[in-house]
Amino acid sequence: MLSVRRWWERFGTSTLLTGAAVGIALIIRQTQGSFLLESYQFITRPFYNSPDRTAQLENAQAQELQQRLIDLQNKNQKLEDLLGFTQAQKTKGIPAPVIGRSADHWWSHLVLGRGKKDGVELNSVVMSPGGVVGRVSKVSDNVSLVTLLSDAFNQVGVTVSRTRATGFIKGQSGDKAGSQVIMEFFDKNVDVRRGDTVVTSSFSTKFPSGLPVGRVESVDMGKSPSPEAVIQLTAPIAALEWTAIYPHLPAQTEDITPDPEPKNGQVLPPAEKP
Amino acid sequence: MQFPAMTQMVQTIDRSPALRLFFGSVLTVMSVWICLMLLPTRLPGMALAGIGPNWLLIWVVIWSLKRSVWQGLSAGLVLGLLQDAMTEEHPTHIFSLMVVAYLISRLQKQRVLREDFIFITLITFGMAVVAETVMALQFSFLGTRTVVDIWRHHQLIALSSAILSSLWAPVLYFPLNQLWKWSQSPDA
Repeated sequence: MLSVRRWWERFGTSTLLTGAAVGIALIIRQTQGSFLLESYQFITRPFYNSPDRTAQLENAQAQELQQRLIDLQNKNQKLEDLLGFTQAQKTKGIPAPVIGRSADHWWSHLVLGRGKKDGVELNSVVMSPGGVVGRVSKVSDNVSLVTLLSDAFNQVGVTVSRTRATGFIKGQSGDKAGSQVIMEFFDKNVDVRRGDTVVTSSFSTKFPSGLPVGRVESVDMGKSPSPEAVIQLTAPIAALEWTAIYPHLPAQTEDITPDPEPKNGQVLPPAEKP
Repeated sequence: MQFPAMTQMVQTIDRSPALRLFFGSVLTVMSVWICLMLLPTRLPGMALAGIGPNWLLIWVVIWSLKRSVWQGLSAGLVLGLLQDAMTEEHPTHIFSLMVVAYLISRLQKQRVLREDFIFITLITFGMAVVAETVMALQFSFLGTRTVVDIWRHHQLIALSSAILSSLWAPVLYFPLNQLWKWSQSPDA
């Protein structure tokens, strides 16, 4: 008993302080760090750039429109015969300033200065002049954390709009980590060449289909197990200052999957919604 | 007219060891907070290939230099939790920072190295590489990325982070070291 008391007299205060520090850190972690990100937003508020509409990368915008056009033309051809195809309604984006980057080197994140109070939801799609940037992976009152397309964790289903060749993109490491991604195709023989535009595919559960992603920079057909292509992202991710956030529209699986046919009296469960 | 009052206040704090300890602790917590606020920034001159200094790592290195293993480990735990809060929770930063804290606080026992600018820079360089390696190992076990990708990425991250962290380490070391000397000295 005496030894316990002696130990307590000697180490009690520091043990209590350590416990308190660990406790506070745990609470902050459990609240997804919203306190830290909120205070970061508060501090950096005076340093935001005002949205300079005229100086906004016009070239990137023209490219985006061109890509959308090519994609729509191709898609139209494929879908002309399909009846009941309804295009998703275009909603107005929430303009959001980029106030920070990832707090760690292993993830590619953006910190945006808009949050729940402005109508941002989890999994909202983040666009910039040029195309898709990423997806909201954490959101608090005034801040949201975006996982970028160039993140090495993030795999997104995409399709080449000219030939509808499908595959997925994954982040790259190296000097061009922020501007280029690798596309892996699902098929062995794909028709793809330099300059083709790449858009999000309808298989993607993370993004609505048809959003511009980038252009094919180079193709490696000999890559095993499936061909790979280097995609140049059209959105200038490394130099972003303003983005637009769109609430995520669920993928339209109704038009793609055939009606489940009951066999032997069994009723198949409805197709799972992503 | 404000200055005499302020001087008197500073003198009062300076005379009382308890007050000094209190203000030292408050400023220590503030310094952690400043490091956290610096993490998402990529100020010009502070970034290399889109990678900034690992401020929390620098803080843990400086903290552990003159402290016991347990104090070092607790700091690693707390700051690891905080960095997890700022990014993603899997894999965690707790291990990398705790390993760094452990190594540093063991190292001090040897007393072979002097404490100066060069020493802080070198040791932070080494520890940044250690921390990123611990992260890379965790990623390898998680299996969410291919091992080749992880280690290629590790090379770039470890080098850039080590260079930047080591160069910015003295900026944090001198004020923190002075603060802890002042707040923990037994008499004024």
